[in-house]
Amino acid sequence: MLEPLIKIAVLLGGLMTAAAYFVLLERWIAAWVQDRLGPNRVGVPLTRIRLFGLGQPMADGGKFILKEEYTPAHVDKRLFLLAPISILAAALAVFAVIPFGSVLPASVYTLFGQDAATVALTEGPVPLVVAPGVDVGLLYVFALSSIAVYGVIVGGWASNNKYSFLGGLRSSAQLISYELPLGLAILSVVLASGSLNLDEIVHHQADSGVWFIFTQPLGFVVFVIAAFAEAARLPFDLPECEQELIGGYHTEYTGMKLLLFLVAEFLHMITAAFLIVLLFLGGWHIWGLAGPDEQVTWVGAVGRLIVLHLKVTGVIVFFMVVRWSWPRFRFDQLMALAWKVMLPLGMINLVAVAIFEELSLALQSQLGGWTLAISLLGSWLVCLAAWFGVAYATPMIGDNRVRKDIHTYEVDPQI
Amino acid sequence: MAIVLINGQEVEIGDDERLNGIQVAARVGVEVPHYCWHPGLSVVASCRMCLVETGKRDADSGEISMLPKLVPGCQTPARDGTVFVTDSEKVRQARAMVEEDLLIRHPVDCPICDKAGECHLQDYHFEHGRSERRADIKPFHSRRRELGDTVALFVDRCVMCTRCVRFTREVSGDAELMVVHRGAHEEIDVFPGFPLENKLSGNVVDLCPVGALGDLDFLYSQRVWFMKQHASVCAGCSTGCSIQVEENQDRIHRLKPRENPHINQWWMCDEGRYGWKYVHDNARCLAPRQKIEGVLQPLDWSDAPAALHAALTGEAGENSNSKNSPPKNSNSKKRRLAAVLSPFLTVEEAYLLATYIRQYDENAVLALGRIPQAGADESFPNGFTIRAEKCPNRRGVEMLLSALTGDVLSWESFLEQAAETPFDAVWISGGYPPADGNDAASKEEESLAPELLAGLASSTLIVQDLFASALWRQADIQLPGAAFVERSGSFVNAGNRLQSFEWAIRPPAGVMTEGQLYWRLLDRDGLYNARRVLEDVAREHIAFAAATSEIPATGVDLLLNQLV
Amino acid sequence: MQATDPDIRWVEPPKLGLGERMYLPLFLQGLTTTTKHLVSAKVTVSYPDQEPEINNPLIYRGVHRLNRDEQGRVKCVACFLCATACPAHCIDILGVESPWEDREKYPESFTIDELRCIFCGMCEQACPVDAIELTSLYNLTGRSREEMIFDKEKLLSVYDATKDKEPMKSAQLPPVTTPSATTSTATSTSPTEGGA
Repeated sequence: MLEPLIKIAVLLGGLMTAAAYFVLLERWIAAWVQDRLGPNRVGVPLTRIRLFGLGQPMADGGKFILKEEYTPAHVDKRLFLLAPISILAAALAVFAVIPFGSVLPASVYTLFGQDAATVALTEGPVPLVVAPGVDVGLLYVFALSSIAVYGVIVGGWASNNKYSFLGGLRSSAQLISYELPLGLAILSVVLASGSLNLDEIVHHQADSGVWFIFTQPLGFVVFVIAAFAEAARLPFDLPECEQELIGGYHTEYTGMKLLLFLVAEFLHMITAAFLIVLLFLGGWHIWGLAGPDEQVTWVGAVGRLIVLHLKVTGVIVFFMVVRWSWPRFRFDQLMALAWKVMLPLGMINLVAVAIFEELSLALQSQLGGWTLAISLLGSWLVCLAAWFGVAYATPMIGDNRVRKDIHTYEVDPQI
Repeated sequence: MAIVLINGQEVEIGDDERLNGIQVAARVGVEVPHYCWHPGLSVVASCRMCLVETGKRDADSGEISMLPKLVPGCQTPARDGTVFVTDSEKVRQARAMVEEDLLIRHPVDCPICDKAGECHLQDYHFEHGRSERRADIKPFHSRRRELGDTVALFVDRCVMCTRCVRFTREVSGDAELMVVHRGAHEEIDVFPGFPLENKLSGNVVDLCPVGALGDLDFLYSQRVWFMKQHASVCAGCSTGCSIQVEENQDRIHRLKPRENPHINQWWMCDEGRYGWKYVHDNARCLAPRQKIEGVLQPLDWSDAPAALHAALTGEAGENSNSKNSPPKNSNSKKRRLAAVLSPFLTVEEAYLLATYIRQYDENAVLALGRIPQAGADESFPNGFTIRAEKCPNRRGVEMLLSALTGDVLSWESFLEQAAETPFDAVWISGGYPPADGNDAASKEEESLAPELLAGLASSTLIVQDLFASALWRQADIQLPGAAFVERSGSFVNAGNRLQSFEWAIRPPAGVMTEGQLYWRLLDRDGLYNARRVLEDVAREHIAFAAATSEIPATGVDLLLNQLV
Repeated sequence: MQATDPDIRWVEPPKLGLGERMYLPLFLQGLTTTTKHLVSAKVTVSYPDQEPEINNPLIYRGVHRLNRDEQGRVKCVACFLCATACPAHCIDILGVESPWEDREKYPESFTIDELRCIFCGMCEQACPVDAIELTSLYNLTGRSREEMIFDKEKLLSVYDATKDKEPMKSAQLPPVTTPSATTSTATSTSPTEGGA
């Protein structure tokens, strides 16, 4: 029983610290992109040591904790309290099935002496996931990320404020719309790897040595864009856009409750980054680090850990740089992108993958070693063709002028 | 019907109208620039700014023959068939040349000149002058000398239009000003030992089209573009000159006459012009107070209606639930009330006060307030009169009193009446400026001697005034009043002409205007609306019938169409 | 406003090429720009540690000063043009007759509320006698609101403190040589020259 508790402790502490430091990283990147220095003052308290501003998360946290916990009089008190709790709980619970490394060698038990080893219930290497062997891992992730939508909607509703309410509505529309392409992209990965277990999906890529980004480029693109939207990151930050909704669903929140929302937001981004890495970028795999878990040495285990986290950090940095590269979408464009572009692309990808999987056995017997090359070529061709097709059809460019052939009713401007 | 052509546009003028080119052009919105011409003064045609082309249209053939040279528009009478051209290239060049000539000797010290912003030289130069100077001139410091106690002359700024000289000769009649020297050395001056000190001297500053004559009272106190103008009526005497109050942030800086052909034409006297100082006097009464057991206590304006109700009904002051309610006729003892309507009240305020008192006692005695007198009426050659009666609205209150009570009870007879049978409560309205004009400290009116006021000693006294007086100190309820520039309403002048005006500045903190107080006492909704009250008065009393429709800026004659 | 309002002018968006419609080239372009900036040199000046460099004090808009004339008197003639031009209404002048023979009017008091001031420099532009100028003093601080209301003496002392480093800006004008230059300098000091 000790093992999962240790993992939970490590994961919780790590995630919270990571969220805090990702805030700092986000501010740094924002500053650097704008040719500024960013936060570089806060270091060790009560000294003049600045540490490049690494003390900033502490100061931010302290500020949040010391801020007045203000609950407006017009809110629904119970739901108002429930929303940040539920969103953070859901965001954290997702990590139960997400491997944050590969495995540790079985010899970990010997670290605590022979007695500890006998206490252990399992033999063999220790998987670095809180709940190992969950065969519906991906479904679990989806289920919980849907609960996060509830947090946003409930927060916007409970705030009893038109901006918050609009933010909540927008976010429900956006998150539900983008779950479809997200699901289609995942479905093709599941089809190719034959498992819903995240660890197995990574193993599938590691064993073959070919990540799904290579065999399913279209699926990758669809998944990344949908993940951005699911995490409500900047090109798709309409639920909380500060320009028009002054913060959206968390307009009325202050102090620690606001902090819960903000942390949950960063956790969503981390989750999205993990999923991108695990599903498409080979997880902990890098060429030379493959091999069955049972034969992992300490060097290999730490190497896999580092590789995974470097990949995740890289994806997160990508998230942050994209924030300053792309202008925001208008809401109708956002919806058009989901339904008119992402959904068809996801379907094309799924069909292509299904056809290839169906034919792969036959191909294997006919062509042997050329199968891989054929599949790569085919998937990239499909990707290019679909992309060109979207560009040619331009479903995003619509005419939003008033239809002259439809009678419009005169509306009294007083109403 | 004579037809005049202005720049090709036909203008019809009446047969008995005697107009010059400038006036006819103004009728169709064509402005002819001019310095020396003024409608109230004789024509000299010396500035040459109004040069226009003129000619005649033959009545039969319709053929137009133009004069070869330019003529001054101010001097050219408009007759049937006269043709004026004010926008030709020739005229424009003439104007530019005149402007250039005037500026050769001008110091161009506009930054420190008080006229800057309302200066004709600036305006005309901007509109008609050359875009740049050809002469090499630097701004310099203008010579200055005082012409009298009220006016300073900045010699080098003068354009020698001689409006001021003509004014002292034709309007004020004292002829103190003259032109000395000749040619380029011409200057305005006074004869040594005979300064400019007539009672209309301030008008020369308004007349001056440039900054040569400065009002010593106004000098450097405010730049003209900061001030806001409000049309008002002078309360200095019963002439009731139409004036313009110029203020910035509730502080008056100067009064100027407003053109009114029926009353003051273009002028006003120095007494009125500088007679507003008491408005900003520190000695003004600023807080309502109530005598409780012989000691004056501060009274809040929100409690004032209840306190006044109690004072007028004789009920206990604490009885606030009957506040403002119409008096109960079932009162056991009939109380004898009186109200003194000051000649400083507007017609509307006097009416509201009378209505309020009559709510409590329909037979309440209404009297006319004390009429301040000083010297005798003083007339000037052109008919302008300074009246000895130093109050603005004696006629208005008298007309109202005779309409309400049938006759006019004077202040003296009211005091006698009070001495015979004391009243239960008396409301005395005021608004009197300090007796000697600007010094509040010396206000000890001979007419308010204690033996005269003895008759009021036993009655509950409500006094409303600007400054403390013997009457004020005797009062049981003291209500600070507002000055004329803080009020809205109408004054009726000695010639029975009613003029309406709006407030120009807000009263000092702690003061509620009479109109607003009476409005509130009568339980009317919203803010005091003088126009609505005047409509009521005009509807109810035949003497004010002429005020039914909108009052023009120059006022209405109340005796118009009346069988008096 | 209704969508059918005749005042609405519908603008046709520019036609996009295939490359633009594919979105990828534009995306890469944006990403390149941000990445370039991500690693480029930073422009931040870490102020208390590092003093900013003022390239041209003549156009810098810092603390005001009131210039003195040759005799050391305040140059201002209390014309109120700065107060008129001031969009923040931070200048308060009390103009009176001057005690000197050669001057007519001068400011008895001249106060600028530096907290209200937005340092737009309109007062400097409006001044007909080059009396009020903005210096390049940027580190303006105070411990109270009262302290930040600069009176005439304080503004003159700013001039005394900065006159050696920053000469009066009118001295920077080109010297008067040609008749046309004379005309322009003469007219520039006179507000009556509307067309100039």
